[in-house]
Amino acid sequence: LIGREQPAELHALGHWINTRLKAPIDALQPIDPHPDDHAASMANLIQAMETNQISTLIVLDANPAFDVPAFTAALGRVPFTAHLGAYEDETGKATLWHAPLSHPLESWSDARSADGTAGVGQPLIRPLYDSRSPVEALAALGDEANPNARDLVRRTWTDLDENAWNLALAKGVLKDTAAKPLALGPPTYVIPPPPPAGLTLSLIPHPCLWDGRYAPNAWLQECPDPLTKEVWGSALRVSRVDARRLRLKSGDRVRISARGAEAEATVLVVSGQATGVMTLPLGGGRRAAGPIGSNLGVDVGGLRGTGSAWTVPDARLEKIGGEGRVLETQTALALDGETAVLMPIFNLADLARAQPPQTPPSQFPELPRGDHAWALAIDAQACIGCNACVVACQSENNVPVVGPEDIQAGRDMHWLRIDRYDLGSDEDPQPGFSPIPCMQCEHAPCEPVCPVEASVHDHEGLNDQVYNRCVGTRFCQANCPYKVRRFNFRDYEAGHVYGDLDVTALKAQRNPEVTVRERGVMEKCTYCVQRISAARSESERTGGPIADGALKTACQSACPTQAITFGDLNDPKARVNALRLETRHYALLEHLGTRPRTTYLARVRNPNAALEKKT
Amino acid sequence: VRGLWTSAIGGLDGLTARITAPVLDKPSRGWWLAFAGAGGLTLMMAAGIAWTLTQGIGVWGNNSSVVWGFGIANYVWWIGIGNAGTLISSMLLLTRQKWRASINRFAEAMTLIAVATAGLFPIIHMGRPMYWYWLAPYPNTMSLWPQWRSPLIWDFWAILCYLTFSILFWYVGLLPDLATLRDRARNGVVKRIYGAFALGWRGSLRQWALQEKLHTTLAVLAVPLVCSVHSIVGLDFAASLMPGWTESIFPPYFVVGAMFSGFCVVIVLAAIIRKALGLQAVITDSHFQVMAKIVLAASIIMGLSYASEWFSAWYGGSDADRGVLEFMFKGHYQPLYIAMLACNVVTPQALWFPSARRSLPTLLIVAVLVNVGMWLERILIIFETLSHDYLPSSWRLFFPTLTDGAILFGSLGFFLLLFLILSKVLPIVSMHETRALLAEEGRA
Repeated sequence: LIGREQPAELHALGHWINTRLKAPIDALQPIDPHPDDHAASMANLIQAMETNQISTLIVLDANPAFDVPAFTAALGRVPFTAHLGAYEDETGKATLWHAPLSHPLESWSDARSADGTAGVGQPLIRPLYDSRSPVEALAALGDEANPNARDLVRRTWTDLDENAWNLALAKGVLKDTAAKPLALGPPTYVIPPPPPAGLTLSLIPHPCLWDGRYAPNAWLQECPDPLTKEVWGSALRVSRVDARRLRLKSGDRVRISARGAEAEATVLVVSGQATGVMTLPLGGGRRAAGPIGSNLGVDVGGLRGTGSAWTVPDARLEKIGGEGRVLETQTALALDGETAVLMPIFNLADLARAQPPQTPPSQFPELPRGDHAWALAIDAQACIGCNACVVACQSENNVPVVGPEDIQAGRDMHWLRIDRYDLGSDEDPQPGFSPIPCMQCEHAPCEPVCPVEASVHDHEGLNDQVYNRCVGTRFCQANCPYKVRRFNFRDYEAGHVYGDLDVTALKAQRNPEVTVRERGVMEKCTYCVQRISAARSESERTGGPIADGALKTACQSACPTQAITFGDLNDPKARVNALRLETRHYALLEHLGTRPRTTYLARVRNPNAALEKKT
Repeated sequence: VRGLWTSAIGGLDGLTARITAPVLDKPSRGWWLAFAGAGGLTLMMAAGIAWTLTQGIGVWGNNSSVVWGFGIANYVWWIGIGNAGTLISSMLLLTRQKWRASINRFAEAMTLIAVATAGLFPIIHMGRPMYWYWLAPYPNTMSLWPQWRSPLIWDFWAILCYLTFSILFWYVGLLPDLATLRDRARNGVVKRIYGAFALGWRGSLRQWALQEKLHTTLAVLAVPLVCSVHSIVGLDFAASLMPGWTESIFPPYFVVGAMFSGFCVVIVLAAIIRKALGLQAVITDSHFQVMAKIVLAASIIMGLSYASEWFSAWYGGSDADRGVLEFMFKGHYQPLYIAMLACNVVTPQALWFPSARRSLPTLLIVAVLVNVGMWLERILIIFETLSHDYLPSSWRLFFPTLTDGAILFGSLGFFLLLFLILSKVLPIVSMHETRALLAEEGRA
């Protein structure tokens, strides 16, 4: 794939190939209102600071002292500096003044998406602290005495009448504001430049922390990297071939040096990494990200330089001895032989001939069904492994963060995890994702083994965990073939550095509809039983049925690809029933006879027969 | 086994004097030294337990996949050791193996203490140990009963029955000896205490007849109990759905394993007691030889059980079962598994040689190794399955913590401490039974 790392010649080549393939691709008008080079602008600023041309510097909602090391050095030459930001970060500490800025969820704002669609953002809550939003701060810096954020944003959209404005607020976006696709010129075949000799260091935005701005967020620190499953830090990803050549193994400490700068990192050997390319995510090595986000991962600011490069050619690696810590929530990634059945994949041609799935027989009696029979179907084909469901579940269900030490001990608490497996070889892995919530088995192995009946089945098919009955023998998790139950090994919610730290504002993040679990009890996915319960009450109040699709689990509402479908099996028209009849429908570990209510739709591929034969 | 007794004992009186001396005299230096060592280890265990209770199971090595660890392994191991005492007493009593007279008392004491030690673990292993009594069917405002389908409930009752029974069996056997102590005690208070526990034993013919009848009846009851307690421990695993656990061989294999480790602990204790109390004439070489033969037989059964586990995993054809089997021999715990096989199956084969059976040091080495091997077996049953079950995404290893170690090694000290205390307050060898044996031999 051609991305921001590649030179213009490769983009031209990509355009040529796409045209030859008649690929249905739109070229988007860039939305950046300042099409000049931001890197050059930063370099100019630093130069101006160094030559004493700047007397007052105000940094608004940015952290250049972390992103660009040269900036910090030049800051001392500016007589008056101030930082407006939601957090007192590296820049906030380096400047003379730091003033609190409201969080985006507390602020009025407007923005454009990647395709140019405009949107209006309105605050979800009143600011928790006495802070100002960016628009208010900017207006105050101008000549407004008492700026009103809503009026300031409204002023941008004066061409909208009151109805259109209200519609925009309700929808969040303004219709038909996307930029027209660009007509690209006729392609010319360009011979791409040879790839640089030696090792290239590729810098990527961190999948959870972006450029490090989300480092203080414990949910995101503990959200696994989609591909490496790494949490709490970032290791240097090295291909298997390079690792063999350089005699490196996962966990080795190395020094990366390029362009006169260097950084120390821990190696992680990964399948599917291009030979000659090492990858390091941005966002590590924060020094002022609070007790949660500081001193994790690698600071790549020096290697990246003021130019904010995405690739660093000709990087040198040097082993410095010692063992680094790479924390992963899943270590066995390869599926081979018999275990491949855990992530079935159909060829499109075979799918037409495949038989619809049959439920295996069972000696257990059928369970009586109540008014509802909840079920969840997950389309593994649609899953892109983005983790939105994982964090949504964590937020909805007050799932605690356990911190790096307990992750190292193997105690992640996520009720919903994404299993990620490689189906191919080490050289050509075909990664696949499969989100694993509780299967809510009809014949649940966890239920009969609980000595105190804390794990019970309800009339709607949910496998409930009664927290205040649980004594913590952990037999249920020992007997769970899917290992989806989670034990509170410590007092994670309170009295724990990654819990609420007794900060009132953090206590407010808890969902009041969901019990906060205490130390020593087992917990698990409930299909968001609090939402089911609310929908049931609503339907009893109004007398109407719970409409299919009206009730969504947290993971489902967060899924950007709509891979998750929740519904009532008793409703013959429910979408989840239709999905369960598809030929690519399967249940995980079906042969165990657990009769899961959470089921999957297998992935489908459509390989070119000629190419397939070659490999 | 005949000809156990030598005239060196010095008659019936001499025998009684020799056995009561350690109880009624002041403790020796050696006893105090052992007491200090065992006490230190017990304090270590207490510290480990206190740390666990205040901090939570998080201070152990358990993780989200390997949710069980040392706690359960220690429990199964100690319960296993506790199995041999009552078994030796009852089975050998029923089969009229007279030689048991000199070892049954401390074997029974060992049972009591081992079961008491074992009983600690299921409670401290719980996430919320303060609610352990929820496993009992007591009337409560919530109108809730335990879940009868859970093997843990079966286990709760099995331990409770076994412990109660073992106390009764031991006490009934002890009655005449308590009376002897009452009669021989020099201190008035001590005399009263023994007297109270002796329940007015006068040694009348009627009392002897009743005692013997009750003791034999209890022995008949003991055999199924001994088998049930460890069968049910086996069911804790076998009644699950997990690969490597769902095996019908587990209950008998656990019972044999329990006897195996129990007999080995009896050998070690017998050697220590004999040396410490100078009871070479009471606990003779022949006793050790007979026990060596039982250990040898048990090791062969253990070997067959392991082989049957491998065979059924392979023959069953389930990928998960075969995966666990492969993990045993090739995975992370391979060295431990090989060590376990060496300790439990290979080492005891030395006992085929009569010279090895006659050599106490050899026997002691085998006995200690078997107990190491049996502990490894218990922990590996947990590790192999939970570290390598159905979904590769959940494969995780277990790394023990200092607290895990403190509680495991501390429990050895706790066991020893209780044993030392018991040896100071009660006769460690059954006086009335050895006297009867001696008298019989004398007549012969």
